Amino acid sequence: MITLDIKDLHAKIGDKEILKGLNLQLEAGKVHAIMGPNGAGKSTLSKAIVGHYDVEITAGDILYKGKSILEMEAEERALEGIFLSFQHPVEIPGVNNAYFLRTALNAKRKHEGKEELNAAEFLRAMKGHLEALGMKSDMISRSLNEGFSGGEKKRNEILQMLILEPEVIILDEIDSGLDIDALRAVSEGINKMKDGKRTFLVITHYSRILDYIEPDYIHVLKEGKVIKTAGVELVAKLEADGYDGIVEE
Amino acid sequence: METPIRLENLRDASLETMAEYFKVDVSNAVLQRFHTLGLPNKKSESYRYFPMESLLSTEYEALDFAPLEVHEKEKIEILDGQVISIPPYVRVYYTHYDDIDMEHYDPMYYLGHLLNPRVIMIEIDGDRSIELIHRFTKPNALIHYRLVIKNQANRHTTLYESFESTNAQGSLVLYGYDMVVAPDSTLRVIKNQNIQNEAYACVSSHHYKVNKQANLVLQSFDFGNTAALDLFKVELDSYATLDAGHLLYLLGKTRRGIVSQIVHKGEHSSSKQEAKSILEDDARGIFDALIRVEHSAIHAKTVQNSKAVLLGEHCYMISKPQLEIYIDELEASHGATTGQLDTKQLFYLRSRGISEKEAKKMLIIAFANTLIDHIKDARYQEKVQKSFEETFYSHTKESI
Repeated sequence: MITLDIKDLHAKIGDKEILKGLNLQLEAGKVHAIMGPNGAGKSTLSKAIVGHYDVEITAGDILYKGKSILEMEAEERALEGIFLSFQHPVEIPGVNNAYFLRTALNAKRKHEGKEELNAAEFLRAMKGHLEALGMKSDMISRSLNEGFSGGEKKRNEILQMLILEPEVIILDEIDSGLDIDALRAVSEGINKMKDGKRTFLVITHYSRILDYIEPDYIHVLKEGKVIKTAGVELVAKLEADGYDGIVEE
Repeated sequence: METPIRLENLRDASLETMAEYFKVDVSNAVLQRFHTLGLPNKKSESYRYFPMESLLSTEYEALDFAPLEVHEKEKIEILDGQVISIPPYVRVYYTHYDDIDMEHYDPMYYLGHLLNPRVIMIEIDGDRSIELIHRFTKPNALIHYRLVIKNQANRHTTLYESFESTNAQGSLVLYGYDMVVAPDSTLRVIKNQNIQNEAYACVSSHHYKVNKQANLVLQSFDFGNTAALDLFKVELDSYATLDAGHLLYLLGKTRRGIVSQIVHKGEHSSSKQEAKSILEDDARGIFDALIRVEHSAIHAKTVQNSKAVLLGEHCYMISKPQLEIYIDELEASHGATTGQLDTKQLFYLRSRGISEKEAKKMLIIAFANTLIDHIKDARYQEKVQKSFEETFYSHTKESI
């Protein structure tokens, strides 16, 4: 089953066209990795999916469970189950991390017709996730991402993913700036979410994270288009020949 | 017997006429200084953006001084300019004050002293946290008083200042402090002034003298829709420090803000001043702040910053951070930003399913919290937070 169907997508940031007729189908329950050189449009693709204000879609469509999401606001896409782990999560001084997480979770629960969690219920639900990610409990009482190291910010992104339980998970360079322990903890968090139903789109420059999160498909993105889709064996070829060695299909 | 008073009548008055009005000798230094500076007008730098002329032109009832009975309570209460309660560990009395700053930039500082030849002297013993409540109950009146606060050397004092009013519509409150922070001591002043529904206008003019190795913490939280201006001057002696934070949340057509002058006089003195302003509707915020580092203040450190968020279509912020430096050996920085809410932050929250409206609320409250969180006492911090959120949410509700 196709969860996300991106059809002939053209998108620009400012005056510059970045995505030039991109086609991509993400299957439910599968892990898709997107690799490509700098400037290929990987981050623009992730922004286009979540409705980022920077990106203007000029042609094409993005279908989620068969319906176009282009007219949906960012929060509506999130409530429907699309999640982006940001490459550079912003710091928001003054917004308590726990309060933010609970507000986001309760917005989702309300959307799903479930009862909202009070502070105590929420903290109980958080405890296990914090331990699994090796996060100190004081991290949720601090301001959102403020003063967090690169690794802490990425763990906090994964914590949000675990709490919100989205259906489509886009990980934009989740491995950048992580040491080996943090990479392992983050990968374990991601693997915990693999249930055969959720769809992952892993955007990365490096193959290292793919040792931890085994992808089902590798897509090579170049100059705003997906030029090749293959199985995990493509990673070795990319390592050996680089992106120039890939011929558009 | 209450008689009308119109301060505008003092404009352009001769020294002799003023002397007769204030019942002082023409040689009185305070009178001469006031006469030299003159009543504020549109051209006065400190009042340029504030409707002072209209307040001065209004006719107010003058309140006669009739001493009220003073009760012993855990807080200091001042009712329409007169002390009505004091804690047992504080000495409060009315007295003439001779140590008036003769280099203050604000004419209203001198007018305050001329109107109040007897100040309310408050002497605080030991390490104390004291609540000071200003209460106003007279409509269309000129309510004026001045306070002098002194603490003890090597002691820590916190003053929680709050304001209450009933039936004080149309009144003008002129008050101010002369505070002397004793050597090696710490004085924290936390002011929470939430004036709603044009209850009264307020112009306060202060002078803070921070002695050697003493610390002054000034935290002001000004909310509401009524005209108010807080003018102060701080003088820092050697190794003295100032930590000042100002939060403005302004609604309606109010004109409100801070005009300050921080003077580094002693070596190794340091100051930090941070202003955050949130403006709605047609409000105008003022942050006109000068830091002067004098020749004697070698190795001084100073940081000044103003951030304003404009939420209304017609609101605007006047931010004038200024540095006046007479030495080379120092560290100094200042800056000001004025704009909308941060789009990256807003998007981040929305990308987690939080509605745009809720995300905006979160960011505004967060912006305010960065200063409110600096209040050490949790109980008072909660009080200020509640005051801010009540004002914010009631306005948000109205604007839906």
